[in-house]
Amino acid sequence: MLKMTHLSKVYRTEVVETYALRDFNINVKEGEFVAVTGPSGSGKTTFLTIAGLLETFTGGEYHLDGVEVSNLNDNARSKIRNEKIGFIFQAFNLIPDLNVFDNVEVPLRYRGMKAAERKQRIMDALERVGLASRAKHYPAELSGGQQQRVAIARALAGSPRLLLADEPTGNLDTQMARGVMELLEEIHREGATIVMVTHDPELAARAQRNVHIIDGQVVDLAEDPRFHHAVHAARNNAPA
Amino acid sequence: MLQIKPILAALKRHKAGTILIALQIALTLAIVCNALFIIQQRLDRIARPTGMIETDLLTLQNRWVGVDDEKTGPLIRADVQAIRQLPGVEDAISINSYPLRGGGWSTGVRTNPDAKKSETHTTQYFVDDHALATMGLKLVAGRNFRSDEIVEMDPKAVVASSQIMVTKTLADKLFPDGSGLGKVVYVDDGTKPSTIIGIVERLEVPWNSSWSDTFLDNAVLLPYQLTGGGTSYMVRSKPGQLAAITKSVPETLYKLNRMRVIPSERGVRTYDVVRAQAYKSDRGMAILMGVVCLVLLAITAAGIVGLTSFWVGQRRKQIGVRRALGATQRDILSYFMTENLLIGVAGVVVGALLAIGMNLWLVTQFEMARLSLVYVAVGVVALLLLGQGAVLAPAMRAARVPPVEATRSV
Repeated sequence: MLKMTHLSKVYRTEVVETYALRDFNINVKEGEFVAVTGPSGSGKTTFLTIAGLLETFTGGEYHLDGVEVSNLNDNARSKIRNEKIGFIFQAFNLIPDLNVFDNVEVPLRYRGMKAAERKQRIMDALERVGLASRAKHYPAELSGGQQQRVAIARALAGSPRLLLADEPTGNLDTQMARGVMELLEEIHREGATIVMVTHDPELAARAQRNVHIIDGQVVDLAEDPRFHHAVHAARNNAPA
Repeated sequence: MLQIKPILAALKRHKAGTILIALQIALTLAIVCNALFIIQQRLDRIARPTGMIETDLLTLQNRWVGVDDEKTGPLIRADVQAIRQLPGVEDAISINSYPLRGGGWSTGVRTNPDAKKSETHTTQYFVDDHALATMGLKLVAGRNFRSDEIVEMDPKAVVASSQIMVTKTLADKLFPDGSGLGKVVYVDDGTKPSTIIGIVERLEVPWNSSWSDTFLDNAVLLPYQLTGGGTSYMVRSKPGQLAAITKSVPETLYKLNRMRVIPSERGVRTYDVVRAQAYKSDRGMAILMGVVCLVLLAITAAGIVGLTSFWVGQRRKQIGVRRALGATQRDILSYFMTENLLIGVAGVVVGALLAIGMNLWLVTQFEMARLSLVYVAVGVVALLLLGQGAVLAPAMRAARVPPVEATRSV
């Protein structure tokens, strides 16, 4: 589903080159739930933005759902984002001027879907996240957890092949975070491929697989003893 | 892709800016439509034909000094003869006034001597048999005056002439069936009959202000050589000789008789100058209105650019999110263009009603003509195009916001 080989991302200024990702390799299979972990500044978010075609990369190869994406133009990248990827952001990124229904509708409109089909998909997605009754509410009228559920509904409405979540519970309290995480797990059980960036060992422990990034490279989890220990502890404490 | 519903929903959340810009568009449209209408009216006035062939035409104002008014007849005749003999001169006349001069004779005219009220107003031009050739008038019926019909006349003792020429407009006004030639009329509210012996196609009155608009093309030509202290001469030059005679005519007149003043200002004027001076205020008004229109349009365009730029800056993150969710650059461009179009449409709808209302007020207050809806239609299209043009640059800036902006926290 998602395969990066020897991928690099370099930010250049007049005087310095900074490698955000270097010789980066990852292979996420269809139906997997992968947690990408690592300390701040390790390159987690850069990986996610490149994986989501929000940014281009400097070198290497990236195949998404079998398509090599490095040579695609802006329109083709937009189309892939719209049809194959669902985004869940840490800050929810709902559009404050639009109500819940219209927010979920945004990617469907860009797909050129007919109104009746859009409506059906939106209501299905909102029911799935338990917010069908809030369709006419504006984001400011919802709690953080509810807003993230709307963002998940927006990501799900287009039936994407891949869900990319960037610290999805980062702005939520523990109870709301748990609810959102349970929802993601439920979506995964239904067959979705999920790549979640987090620095929370407890959340990472709930994924099928952990990919650990340090200094822009994927490393063995054991190479970061503190995180390794935290994840193990979280797994051992997890309910069966 | 049409995004009208979500754009309207978003605009509802930004009422103040939306309403302000829509109102600005509305006011601009209302003012620009009426200003353009006024400009067009002024331009129409400026372009109004006098009925004369205006090229190669020179006018002179002459004031006799130290000569009794009643003794000016022979002097005027001598002046005219001398001018006609100058090289480069096609023909010349003395005349009491001429179109666009600004001052002249006006009187009533009737077909029935017993009628208490004149049927219409007219101006009177006192000319000789060279008037048609000098002024370049087109005789459409009847005949010109003969030289033996020309009478010297003291301006204080002017009476109706037994033979007159009139403009076609006046003839048709008095005799709507078109049978004016040979008919008798009564000029100057007198009872002495004047027979129409000739009809000229067109000859404007000397005034160009609105008070004479009701009898603009009503003119009577009388075969009188008017005496008096002040005399106007009209001189037609041979083609290409106007500049030369502009110099030679006053020189010749001074050589002939020094007991005169030809004022340095407005004394010797080609007809182009006469026309330019007569319509100076109209031209000024047209320019002023044009400047007002341009300033208003510029302010409106700047307002649209400013508000859209502000919105683009404010929604940078939102644009990034849209891009992340699959919007192409074209979608973002189209979003802002459509948003502006919707505000513009609201503005022009209100503006069109305001424009018509403003014109109705001007009609009642200043007797202006009714605004043609063509101006409103043109104004609507122009304002919408202006809006789209103004929004283009900020909209393109918005379209260039990268999708990665969605992941940035500030």
